[in-house]
Amino acid sequence: MKFIKISCALKLFNVLTLLFLFMISSCTLDMTDYEAERNDTVEEVVEFREAIVINQDNYKISIEALNGKFYKGYNEIRLKLSKNNLSISDGKFTVLPILTNEKGEHSSCPHLYYLNYNATENYYTGYVVFTEESNISNWKLYLNFSQDNKIYKIEQSIEVLKQPNMNLNMTSFTGKDGEQYIIALIAPQKPKVAENNLVAGIYKYNKIEKSETTFPDPAQFSYSEVSNFTLAIDPRMPEPSMGNHSSPNNKDLVQGNDGLYHGVVNYTMTGNWTLNFILYNQNGLIIKGTKVSTDFTPGIEGQKSELHINTLF
Amino acid sequence: MRKIIVPILFLGILSQAQSIEESKDSIHFLEEVKLSRQKKLETDLKMNISVDEYLSSSENISFIKRGAYAWEPLLNNMSTERSMVTIDGMHIFGACTDKMDPVTSYVESNNLSGIDIKSGQAGNLHGSTIAGSIDLKRKNTPFGLSKKWNGAYQTGFEFNNKQVSNLGNFSYSGNKLVVDGSIAYREAENYKDGNNKEVNHSQYKKFNSSLGVAYKTSDLSSLRFDAIFDVAKDVGFPALPMDLWLSRALITSVSYKKLFEKGIIKAWDTKVYFNAIEHYMDDTKRPENLVHMDMPGWSTTYGLLSKINLKKEHYSSEIQLNAYQNLSIAEMRMYPQDRSKRTMFAYSWPWVTTSFAGLSMNNSWEISDRSQLNVGGSLGINHNRSKYVEFNWIFHPGAPQEKTRVLPSLHASYSLDINQFNFSVGGGYGHRAPSVSEGYGYYIYNSFDRYDYIGNPNLKNEISYEINASTGFKNDRLNVQAKVNYFYIENYIIGRILSMGSPMNYQSVGVKGYTSLDYATLFNFSLNADYMLMHNLHWNGTLTYARGLDNKSGNLPFIRPLSYLTSLHYQHKNFGIMTSLNGDFEQQNFSPEYGEDKTSSYIIWNASVDYAFSFNKTKLKLQVGAENILNEYYSTYADWGNIPRMGRNIFTSLQINF
Repeated sequence: MKFIKISCALKLFNVLTLLFLFMISSCTLDMTDYEAERNDTVEEVVEFREAIVINQDNYKISIEALNGKFYKGYNEIRLKLSKNNLSISDGKFTVLPILTNEKGEHSSCPHLYYLNYNATENYYTGYVVFTEESNISNWKLYLNFSQDNKIYKIEQSIEVLKQPNMNLNMTSFTGKDGEQYIIALIAPQKPKVAENNLVAGIYKYNKIEKSETTFPDPAQFSYSEVSNFTLAIDPRMPEPSMGNHSSPNNKDLVQGNDGLYHGVVNYTMTGNWTLNFILYNQNGLIIKGTKVSTDFTPGIEGQKSELHINTLF
Repeated sequence: MRKIIVPILFLGILSQAQSIEESKDSIHFLEEVKLSRQKKLETDLKMNISVDEYLSSSENISFIKRGAYAWEPLLNNMSTERSMVTIDGMHIFGACTDKMDPVTSYVESNNLSGIDIKSGQAGNLHGSTIAGSIDLKRKNTPFGLSKKWNGAYQTGFEFNNKQVSNLGNFSYSGNKLVVDGSIAYREAENYKDGNNKEVNHSQYKKFNSSLGVAYKTSDLSSLRFDAIFDVAKDVGFPALPMDLWLSRALITSVSYKKLFEKGIIKAWDTKVYFNAIEHYMDDTKRPENLVHMDMPGWSTTYGLLSKINLKKEHYSSEIQLNAYQNLSIAEMRMYPQDRSKRTMFAYSWPWVTTSFAGLSMNNSWEISDRSQLNVGGSLGINHNRSKYVEFNWIFHPGAPQEKTRVLPSLHASYSLDINQFNFSVGGGYGHRAPSVSEGYGYYIYNSFDRYDYIGNPNLKNEISYEINASTGFKNDRLNVQAKVNYFYIENYIIGRILSMGSPMNYQSVGVKGYTSLDYATLFNFSLNADYMLMHNLHWNGTLTYARGLDNKSGNLPFIRPLSYLTSLHYQHKNFGIMTSLNGDFEQQNFSPEYGEDKTSSYIIWNASVDYAFSFNKTKLKLQVGAENILNEYYSTYADWGNIPRMGRNIFTSLQINF
């Protein structure tokens, strides 16, 4: 009798154990894989790949860009010049990007005209900030290099794609001083919910009297990095549900030794953000941008500065 | 309502196995074990109660209530960060950032045998604390009872919120094997307040089961396995902007206990434990929420505790090693109105690991028949690590990812009996580490003051200096006890408005950061008396008062105003009547800074009758009663968002013991 009772107890134990297992295994919300999710939204590209190869007079020119493609916005470019597989370091490379619209009008975009040579890695380096994607208008790169007292001129059509990463967005505008400016985000490619070092390039079109010169005249299409400006930043989440949410401890962007502008943006959560900017010149005068409300306004889409760039991660 | 401790303590499961010592202590224990075997968690008023209702019968405990379920116990008017709530010494941490799941919500009254409340540093046995400790004692049947099978079933119905409860438990006590099991289910609809108005989102469903199996490995040793499994579903929190969709807890332990017949060491008890809690909130039933948000939380704890009991002549001691590691994770994912757009994600607990190891020792020495000295201390090391520390850096740039703290504690007390009077004085000193939310919380919305709270990894240890005293008188008919304690707490952690940042949660009005006040002080007083008017008519009365001040003499929040309880209990043969009045005076010392407003006084009148009878070998008890008979509309100082409490509630219950 006693034995039966023990086995009863054991049976009950088994039943309860099964019940436990059943209730534990029923489905619920899964834990978020934070790192994987950020990879889904933003693909970080760090690898330079060959975008274009040009062969001319026994010279081989290879143009590399991130992912082997050109995108609207800031593009670092690397050029390799070689002859018979031997790198040439004194090519004095120049690059001039030209956009031609359907009316045949020409314009350019911020770029480094005289490329620098990186002696350790054996390439010429520069950048181009494409202001439009290729569609009806098309882009051409005009490359010059000199070798053996001869100047070689190359004309190369390229395709500029839409930038899939909103964290590398750009904006162009006319400032209160009547000048044309371009601001392009350079880093971070893949922001975190954290303090992010924000890097942007700020460029200005160097106005010049139109004159009859042979096309393409680099002086007609000249841009420069602006010096000693300040880009004040106020990041906010524009989504109505976020009620104009912002973050603390951001730092305005100021120019570093590399000519680029460096600051800090804190993103408090993933999602859509707007970087509201005010651009001040070296004298502290506003070139463009408006202060945005700091009020918490749930249910209302956040107001944006007249100068802003949207990001998403 | 003296000390609500039903000590089943260390000799519990082996009471039959131990060699019966001649000292009066062990006999005392045996008697209590036999008594407690049948004893249930119940109050004089109500036999079918929740753990929360039972706890509230202690004068040390008050509650923050966010609805009808899962009340947050305040010990000595301090919230759960400052107290330590354990189950048989096991550390468990709720998985909800909004404290919707205090540890007490994961047990049920039919799997507990008692609750051991210790005030202040005297509660440092299981780890560091400021306010004290609340240890929930599991049921623990001894080996070899003459009645091998025992069982009880309780059912109840409460009319106000149509609460149906069914609780069953059984135990088997063999010479080698003991099994304790319990199962319980409660379900309630919305309750109605004193104006007969339904309080929406106050429903709940709770399932709880537990199992304990002990095997006697030798005459003086045993191995025991314990598990509690608890599920709460569809629990409304009327005071919060969201409800609970599901919470689950699995609480398990394996313990090995050895008794010693000779020598100074009397018992050695070692336990390893594991518990996992998951908690999923639900805001979809609240139309006022423009933003849908998922807020799941997970809390997993592994731990070890090992305790040795020493006794020699007039000296006895317990030494306990505690070690545990907890991982707390809480997420928030907000959904934009346009669901095709990207959701927004952040961690409110960015994978915070807390590791603790400490050694505690409590010694008591009977100086004479009339006086006793207790001295104890503990030393713990607390280590925190935030995996995604970049979340914390947004408000605290450069804060360390890991932080180690040393947490010492000391206490001493002396008690003296002179004839019918007793006196005791004591003091204590102790540190505590900030909680996960206080240290590493990130935009945790507090619907009481409507601020988003940000943790601060650089917070200093909170340091408590405490003095306490009590005095009492006892004769055949009257028993009076008065207790006071006073805490001076350095680096008192509390949320203060931050000038930076902006709210993230939809209903929030600003951002508060946890900071340390230079100090805060807390004073608690209680007076307890019971008087036997006739041999079957008892009167009981309690008066409590507390005052909490910050360093600028401003009021601290959630401090109970002057409150009282008076009750009469009449027993005639199998028939019992109980009636009580309780209430708070007006809360004058409220704290607007922390979202409080003045709360009016209230009086509640309760009564119940019960009748016990036997049927064959089965004992039955029937009870009918009513709470808040006058249907008073009220809310207390600690009702979150001033939600009204339950109006008149008639309850019935039946208890069967076999």
